[in-house]
Amino acid sequence: MDKFFYLLSEGYRSLWRAKLSTFSSITTIGVTLSFVGFGAMATSNLARLANESRSDFTMEVFFTQLTTDSEAQKIMNEIISMDRVREGILITKQEAAEIFQKEFGENIYDLLDDNPLPTSCVIKLEESGLEPTEMEPVAKAIEAMDRVEKVSYPAEAITLIENYFQGMLSVVALISMAILMGTTVLVSNTIRLTIYSRKDLIRILKLVGATDRFVKIPFIVEGIIVGISGGVLASILTYLFIRTANSFLMLFTPYQLIWDWRVIILLVLVVALFSILGSRKAVNKLLT
Amino acid sequence: MIRFRNATFSFKGSAGVSDATFAVEEGEFICIIGPTGAGKTTLLRMIYMDAIPQEGSVEVAGFSSDKIRSKQVALLRRKVGMVFQDFELLDDRSVFENVALPLHVIGMSREEVHSKVDGVLDKLGLTEKSHHLPRQLSGGEQQIVSLARAIVKDPIVVLADEPTGNLDPAASFKILKLLEAIQKSGTAVLMATHNYNLVKDRNYRFFEIIKGQVRISSG
Repeated sequence: MDKFFYLLSEGYRSLWRAKLSTFSSITTIGVTLSFVGFGAMATSNLARLANESRSDFTMEVFFTQLTTDSEAQKIMNEIISMDRVREGILITKQEAAEIFQKEFGENIYDLLDDNPLPTSCVIKLEESGLEPTEMEPVAKAIEAMDRVEKVSYPAEAITLIENYFQGMLSVVALISMAILMGTTVLVSNTIRLTIYSRKDLIRILKLVGATDRFVKIPFIVEGIIVGISGGVLASILTYLFIRTANSFLMLFTPYQLIWDWRVIILLVLVVALFSILGSRKAVNKLLT
Repeated sequence: MIRFRNATFSFKGSAGVSDATFAVEEGEFICIIGPTGAGKTTLLRMIYMDAIPQEGSVEVAGFSSDKIRSKQVALLRRKVGMVFQDFELLDDRSVFENVALPLHVIGMSREEVHSKVDGVLDKLGLTEKSHHLPRQLSGGEQQIVSLARAIVKDPIVVLADEPTGNLDPAASFKILKLLEAIQKSGTAVLMATHNYNLVKDRNYRFFEIIKGQVRISSG
């Protein structure tokens, strides 16, 4: 047990002894990985945006002026029986007038003698297995029905978001992969330099009878501490990026980036793993 | 305790050791003399299995170079104390920490480490310097710290490779006296030196090594 605690404290004390090199390792890892963090956060938020837009599989059907509520109900039932249509909600002329008053604060009968708002219905489509672009044939079929004046649906906006999402996802994934690969090399080189600077320690330990495991453990402990600290620094920088980006976004759109803890935990774990592997590799090279 | 049987270790650009056969018993003091590059260091390296003979064999404390595995080399080195010309101390650790290193490697408890290290430092007159860093000590003092590190684990043999090479005559003589004291306490000592004048009047067993050939003679 004494040996175990000695090795743990050796790892910690070695970092403290080489304060400057420890600081530069953590900073290098933290700053570089914060770029991966930005990429991961951007991807995660884009995915959320795309999912939200995907769930909006609704369309509004407006009937002609002379269509009565009961006729509209009949047509809506026909629409509901169509393939891929999940449900429908009828909005009568009277309900449309009430919605108008709620939204604009004016009674339509006070403004005009008659209620010009048409009877309409909101149609919700099945979501599973349906692409937003596939809404078009359904809308066309409804539009062709008697007494239907207009069908309104957000297909264009959805398609736009989808296309942007796929494009952005590919770009962000490519950049993140490149940064991650660069980071791997950087982390392992930083750790290797730190270890090489202490090759005297390794040689002396071997001379006084230390086993390979005894030599390796403090370096691996160091790798874990440096890795986790670098990961935490990367998380802090990513958090600051999200905050700054949100204050910027606020000027143009109500949409705000959301902080995803899973991304951060993954980031810290990945860095710690790289650091451990980097330490092991570097010590093994010196031991052979 | 140490047995060389026709042991040969050669490498490019140096004489190495050729066909050496001899034995060292417990508590002996052996002085290995010879010019620089004659093979003295290689002979010592063969004892702590840093150089495994290409021909013949070396047996130390029951470990034979024929069969030894890398993990066993570590176990062997725990029984062998080593002192080098350039001290091989860790500059960023105190005297106490340097001396305690072999005991942590063995896995001794903190209390045992403290008691052992304090005892050795007291014996060698270094108690007051225990918190000093090596660079705060003179060359002679650094070599005494190195000696303390070598004997703190109660080795069966101390190997000293040119221990006086970087020291002035007074400090060299002090180191010699300390090595003799170690030998008198029952630990064998093998000291390599090219400074024959320093040891010629001492009552040691001498191994002369020239171009890798070991010749055994008395003092």
